[in-house]
Amino acid sequence: MRSLLMPALIFTLALAGPARADPAAEGKVLFEQKCASCHTIGGGDRIGPDLHGVAERRPQEWLLRFVTEPDKMIAAKDEVAVRLYEKYNRIIMPNLGLAENDARALLAHIQAASSATPPAAAAPPTPLRMPRPQLIAPQSTILVAFLALAAVIIAVFAWVALSTRSPAEVDVKKAYGVRKIFFVTASVVLVALLIATLPRAPYAGADVKPDRIVHVAARQFDFVFSDEPIVSASDLGRVPTIQRLELKAGALVEFRVTALDVNHGFGLYGPQRQLLAQTQAMPGYVNRLVVRLAEPGQYKVFCLEYCAAGHHLMQSGVTVN
Amino acid sequence: MRAIYSQTLYWIAVTFVLFPILVLLGIYMRTVQAGGLAGLDAWFYPMMTLHGVGMVGVWYVASMACAANVLAKYVAPSPAIGRLALVGTVIGVVLLLVCVFLGRFAAGWYFLYPLPFKGEWPAWAAVVFLLSLTVLGATWLVWSLDLLRAIASKYSLSQALGWHYLSGSGELALPPAVLIITVSLIASVAALVAGVVVLVLFYFELLIGAPSDALLMKNLIFFFGHTLVNLAMYLGVALAYEVLPQYAGRPWKTNKIVVISWNTVLLIVLVAYFHHLYMDFVQPGVLQYIGQIASYASAIPAAVVTIFGALLLVYRAKMRWNLASILFYLGLVGWAIGGVGAVIDSTISANVRLHNTLWVPAHFHTYMVAGLVFLVVAYFYHACQEASAAPESTGYHKLLAALLVIGAYGFFLMFYLSGAYSVPRRFALYPAELGHGAVYSGIAAAFAAVFLLGFVLYLVETGRRWLKAVQAA
Ligand code: HEC
Ligand code: HEM
Ligand SMILES: [Cu+2]
Ligand SMILES: [Cu+2]
Repeated sequence: MRSLLMPALIFTLALAGPARADPAAEGKVLFEQKCASCHTIGGGDRIGPDLHGVAERRPQEWLLRFVTEPDKMIAAKDEVAVRLYEKYNRIIMPNLGLAENDARALLAHIQAASSATPPAAAAPPTPLRMPRPQLIAPQSTILVAFLALAAVIIAVFAWVALSTRSPAEVDVKKAYGVRKIFFVTASVVLVALLIATLPRAPYAGADVKPDRIVHVAARQFDFVFSDEPIVSASDLGRVPTIQRLELKAGALVEFRVTALDVNHGFGLYGPQRQLLAQTQAMPGYVNRLVVRLAEPGQYKVFCLEYCAAGHHLMQSGVTVN
Repeated sequence: MRAIYSQTLYWIAVTFVLFPILVLLGIYMRTVQAGGLAGLDAWFYPMMTLHGVGMVGVWYVASMACAANVLAKYVAPSPAIGRLALVGTVIGVVLLLVCVFLGRFAAGWYFLYPLPFKGEWPAWAAVVFLLSLTVLGATWLVWSLDLLRAIASKYSLSQALGWHYLSGSGELALPPAVLIITVSLIASVAALVAGVVVLVLFYFELLIGAPSDALLMKNLIFFFGHTLVNLAMYLGVALAYEVLPQYAGRPWKTNKIVVISWNTVLLIVLVAYFHHLYMDFVQPGVLQYIGQIASYASAIPAAVVTIFGALLLVYRAKMRWNLASILFYLGLVGWAIGGVGAVIDSTISANVRLHNTLWVPAHFHTYMVAGLVFLVVAYFYHACQEASAAPESTGYHKLLAALLVIGAYGFFLMFYLSGAYSVPRRFALYPAELGHGAVYSGIAAAFAAVFLLGFVLYLVETGRRWLKAVQAA
């Protein structure tokens, strides 16, 4: 069967003729658009396995079928497919509606790219014990303020509950006096908090002059960084992307965040592994998030809007130096 | 009135069956997040969806059923519509179970557009989910409208909203529960109409391929979800206004301040939902600021009028403490503490650090579980006890309440700590950098199990009385 397939492949490629002059090049674009959100070729596992050398690992026929209808193969309990599915977080590779020709082009690209790049070095083992996370401001203030107010509420309710042990008539006039004081105090505190916090809203004005603009396109399930806007999936593979995002410490950076499929969240975590800033990534809109990353170090980006099965695996990194 | 009462007994049964199952799903989720159920983690998101939609639905109908039962004392809701609500809810729940268990549908309880069409589940599962919501939404809309009709047959709108107290002619006494229920039902109609619009837009895309705008859909979905959850909470508070005075031996009447407060609430609840969209920077800025101002403003009537009023009612009263009055009282505590967590989160500059972290489930579980659930199950106990007049042991009731409180607040505290430590919500498993989230999850699962134990004991205590009430009815 395999011996028949190769000539058949060459034959179809020949038939496709000039229209499909370079299947590998066509496959590269398709790969960026449809596969790179979950796979690398020689860059290590992501949502799905690293596809480096996959053409040597599996029969061609199996690959063609898997790429065009992974869902059916898993449903049909194909042994290899089920094993992969178990290994990769039980996320079913989506059926992307590819024609067999597309699959061939993709495999040609994967093969070409595999021979052009060395296999991924074993990923550095994630340390079993991360250093203890620190609680930074304002999160620490928020937690303390909340616990303090909750304690006050509990104390007042407990005091009132205990008072029922010695029942008595209550002077309602006096109580209304207390209520008035409570009303005025609560209103003053809330208005003061409004005045103090409203100006700190994170929305960037039109006049901001950032030192650097980074375009971010979120999709199921990765973040694509680039220096040029990416507004639709068809820009992928055409617009050059940034593989490793490095920023200068202290620079004012504007992230222009959009999404190519569903809503995602762009959550920027600092070296302390605490959330520093975030904005939503929404299809059809660009949210401008302006931040100054003062501290050098390894930052992480996590998806902060649920976007289906790979949501918790959707992440990226930023190096600030 | 009798018919509505027997329907209430049915609703109690429905809640008693569904709630423990949904709590188990919550414990399952925390266990997966702790890394404890490696073989079952692929079900996390479908179960999260079922838990979220299920809980919101169950407590909405439970509070509506209690409200109908209270209203039946003063006006005449239609028993036929009441039956329709029961049947429609059961059909909706069956459809929901089908799409989650057979279709692994998992777009979450607020199913942001266009996720239902773009997940790993089959297209039919999304259709069944939309159908489920359509049945539920339509049924509940009719139910809300009928309760409003019943109120309108005795009070004019301005009377039901207590406006005659403002002009000083308070001769027509309006029970505060009727005032609050009217406010909640108006909000309910608004929420459900928004829900219907969302569904229609989803169907448009399904049938004629007309895509919708993601930001508009987000506004509509959050208006729907936020309003629905809040009004359920208000219905729970209405129950406290109605019943707690019976245990305190003092009246809790409508007056000018109560009227002003609840009319303000009606206005505020309709615009506070903007706080769900703070992180959508393209939303017009003025709406964001309105969101924060409205959220802050909503604290005033709640704290100064209702909470203060409840404390004044109980202060040095000759309280009869039993499971009902204890849980009503605790329910107000949960509402207040959850409210503080919510007001903090509704501060735009704090929301940048808290949005979609576990701080969000932290505060809404506080006022849903320790607020709404406590208030409603207090009412359930009260209703069954009234009908059965069984002997009670205050000491045992205190023990039950203690189990519920320890379980619930231990569980919440883990959410709050995780939120402060930036652990995201809705993560089936935590990445290595956020590994501390798994530790909190494990502890939370244990506390939730304590809560469930307390609830099962509550079920035994109330279930016995429920059986007697059913026999008597
Ligand atoms: C949403 C994530 C996702 C996307 C998009 C995706 N895959 Fe996959 N892929 C997976 C997962 C996960 C597996 C492992 C099997 C499983 O769980 O279904 C996999 C497995 C594979 C395998 C088998 C690997 C092996 O070791 O045998 C191949 C080949 C493959 N994918 C190719 C592709 C190609 C080509 C595309 C683009 C057209 C693509 N995938 C798009 C997630 C994805
Ligand atoms: C003690 C009982 C409960 C437990 C153990 C529990 C547990 C959980 C857990 C673990 C989550 C997922 C958190 C995450 O995002 O990681 C969750 C989500 C949720 N819960 Fe609960 N819960 C309980 C009661 C309730 C109640 C009473 C409600 C009521 C109205 C409720 C409504 C929700 C909603 C709406 C979500 C969000 C679902 C989503 O994100 O789509 N829960 N719960
Ligand atoms: Cu995402
Ligand atoms: Cu996501």
